Amino acid sequence: MKRRTFVRTVGAGGVVGLAGCVGGNGGGDSGGGSNGDTATEADSDSTGTTTGTAASEPPELVVSTYGAFVDAPSTSPGPWLKETFESEFDATLDFATPDSEINYYIERALQGVDIDADVYVGLNVDMLIRIDERLDEGLFTPVDDVSGQGDVKEGLNFDPDGRIVPYDTSYVSIVYNETMGDDGDYVAPETFDALLEPEFEGDLLTQNPTGSSTGKSFLLHTVDAKGPDGYLDYWEELQANDVRVLSDWSTSYNAFLEEEAPMVVSYSTDQVYANREGQDLAKHRIRFLNDEGYAYPEGMSVFEGTDRPELARDFLEFMLRPDVQGEIAQRNVAFPATTTADLPEEFAEYAQAPPEAVTFTYDELRDNVSEWTQAWERQFASK
Amino acid sequence: MERHALGLAAAATAAVLLVVFYYPVATVFVDAVFVDGRPTIEPILSVLSSRFYLVDIFGFTAYQALLSTVASVLLGLPGAWVLARFEFRGRETLRSLTILPFVMPSIMVAIGFVATFGQNGTLNAVLGAVGLPPVDLLFTLEAIVVAHAFYNAPLVARVTTAAWESVDASAVETARSLGASPTRAFRDVVLPQLLPAVAIGATLTFVFTFASFPIVLALGGFQLATVEVFIYSRIQNLAYAEAAALAVVETAISIGLTYWYLRYEGRNRGSGQGARPQPRRTLWPEAWTAREIGTRVGIAAYGVVVLAVFVGPIASMVLASLTGPEGGVTLEHYLFLLERQQTGASYQVRPLPAIANSLRFGIGTLLVAVPMGVALAVLTTREFRGRAAVDALAMAPLAVSGIVVGLGLLRGLVFGVEAFGTRIQVTGALAVVAAHAVGAYPFVTRNVAPLLGNLDPRLVESARSLGATRVRALVDVELPLVAAGVVAGAAFAFAISIGEFDSTVVLAEGSTSYTMPVAVERYLGRRLGPATAMGCVLLAVTSLSFVIIERFGGRYGGRGGF
Repeated sequence: MKRRTFVRTVGAGGVVGLAGCVGGNGGGDSGGGSNGDTATEADSDSTGTTTGTAASEPPELVVSTYGAFVDAPSTSPGPWLKETFESEFDATLDFATPDSEINYYIERALQGVDIDADVYVGLNVDMLIRIDERLDEGLFTPVDDVSGQGDVKEGLNFDPDGRIVPYDTSYVSIVYNETMGDDGDYVAPETFDALLEPEFEGDLLTQNPTGSSTGKSFLLHTVDAKGPDGYLDYWEELQANDVRVLSDWSTSYNAFLEEEAPMVVSYSTDQVYANREGQDLAKHRIRFLNDEGYAYPEGMSVFEGTDRPELARDFLEFMLRPDVQGEIAQRNVAFPATTTADLPEEFAEYAQAPPEAVTFTYDELRDNVSEWTQAWERQFASK
Repeated sequence: MERHALGLAAAATAAVLLVVFYYPVATVFVDAVFVDGRPTIEPILSVLSSRFYLVDIFGFTAYQALLSTVASVLLGLPGAWVLARFEFRGRETLRSLTILPFVMPSIMVAIGFVATFGQNGTLNAVLGAVGLPPVDLLFTLEAIVVAHAFYNAPLVARVTTAAWESVDASAVETARSLGASPTRAFRDVVLPQLLPAVAIGATLTFVFTFASFPIVLALGGFQLATVEVFIYSRIQNLAYAEAAALAVVETAISIGLTYWYLRYEGRNRGSGQGARPQPRRTLWPEAWTAREIGTRVGIAAYGVVVLAVFVGPIASMVLASLTGPEGGVTLEHYLFLLERQQTGASYQVRPLPAIANSLRFGIGTLLVAVPMGVALAVLTTREFRGRAAVDALAMAPLAVSGIVVGLGLLRGLVFGVEAFGTRIQVTGALAVVAAHAVGAYPFVTRNVAPLLGNLDPRLVESARSLGATRVRALVDVELPLVAAGVVAGAAFAFAISIGEFDSTVVLAEGSTSYTMPVAVERYLGRRLGPATAMGCVLLAVTSLSFVIIERFGGRYGGRGGF
């Protein structure tokens, strides 16, 4: 490859003459490798898509996140965040949505390829454990004294090393359809034990813990309720009572809407959507088994290799502001992470929080979560 | 140039395979035999010595694949018979559309199946109307098998139809004039030419359903987990050694089966003359004899099954795209597509670019995969030592888990390799087309090779003795005679490209080359409307494409024959 000399003769004139064969990191321009690999690396990057006027253009912040955060068919916070952030800061906000989410960046780090994003939005404790297990150096920098961090609800912070700031939280619960009873008065069981009763046979749809965060949360909730020594026995009985563990949330929720079963594991904010779409609320009742819901906080952090640390920090502070927290909560249909969010009255009417939130700490999960999940997989898939 | 064209095509095929398949996959498989840089057989050994993996997972996976294969063959063969032996209005269009289920995104199939076979589904509504008790098909092994038949029966039907249409009528007539009964003539003349096609349909179906993933969990449930479910799980958790070991064993089984089939195919060479298809019968018989009536009743019964299994799920998806949140007909989901097209931001997925990209990749794949597949088909109809082994290796893209290929492409092509101080990466449209072509060309080969093998070698010899090069003889003499197979292969190549998901999302990562299935996935939300609307757009666009491919291909085939 004579790319080097080629680049030198043409200069940074934005030539795209290599037919997508060589170089190009998904169209983004990371402005130099974070690991400072070689001069050539930086060289070839700067010919990506810039037009030689980089100096006068506002700096670019690349925020990586999951698809639904920017592209859900109902509402997603992404577009509003971009517009608002850009109107207040001298910066361009770009979203990246790799299909394998955080694993994409872990894989990049494992293979020693530089990372071209500044911030990741949508981290959970599972992802964090994977990062810490696989990588000697964390992917993210510690984030402290970001203004607004003090307003984050107690118990949502899930990173003992302080790299991650929560920005919203959901509670995983049962959603049930009241109209599916014999007299149109189906009532979901109130406890994990009652779920094993014969009358609820085949009534519950949940999801694969590996492919879905609701499925994972429900499994962990049973571990919390029945203990690490008792949850497998509990699942054995649950399986005998014909619980359905399907591939992902969409598939199971669709089956629930089609009245294939009266209960599905989902989010306790379900009625916010149902109300928004003018659906019958009797078909969207919430049940917190044992009066508990499993907390699923989502967090954000700054990539270690960012070359815009100041701007990234500005973005994190922006995300924690009361007005922004309220918007994220409404557009992502989740609860805000801070106690100071601006929310309309009606939000609380349809978004139900559990009497008691349950969640495992990072340390409890770090040593056990793989084992718990794999033991469950083996038992449940034994023919 | 022409003299070496075949050799060049084979070499180019090998090079493409190496770059976008063998090397990337090797970057994953290496984790099964190297741990911390040291060679080891521990991961593979631990899979092979685990009773759970061997019996509950591999055993069950093979069992459901076998059931699915039987169901697909049973459901596909009558279709081939009707399409090849009867003449009716719209036959060619119907034949083009048989491939449609092949491109349905799995999430759409799941939605269609719940609406058709669920407790409140269409099937139970019909059964209730005629006074029969309801059936509950969902979340059982039966549901998985039927869904696999939905995907693969069309494959069996297409491959067999192509073979049936290439049966030379004069051979049948000769047998008949020598006093053979119609049944006897069918058994001795037609059947031997159909069996390789049925066998390849069955083999491909087994290989596919052996590596089935989303459908198993969406319509069965985790208690029916297959190998691919565990490969996915291990890759998600970055437990690469175990994932790779599982994938190596899975691939070995698939390739072994393919090799075994290819040995069989090589032994069953016919010596057909050319392709003058037998005259087709009309669906509406001339005279109503008992035999004719029996045949028609059979066709009608088969029609009912087709309605339930194929038309039902697709129709319910169309219906879902037109249904509002509380029932009632609405166009709002299509309006959503329009709106997203007009106001969608650059980082959002818009419908028109998705359609355009899908078509670009599809046509590109067709142009690359057909020459690749034909070159290999010619190569494998020659006799040489180790032919079946070469052939089996060439079929490998079908036998490797899609999840593993995706990860390999990420490591091998997207991240690239450091060489001479620069990082060489292969991404973008060219890479997507190459990856699709690698997945698609085996279909061309498998559709064409059996038919080529059936041709009388004297046809080529006489052309060569008249001064034609090998390529000239292939293009002017052989290919027109096996046009049915080439066209079927081309349609498959296009379909594979349209439906491909795993490699596409990896290679198009973060850029603007998303395709229709990616858009369907992105539009999934709490309501299914937008996703099903996009799914219907996908179906409409591909239906039209298939009809065009067949018409165009039919004209090419018209040049041949005698």
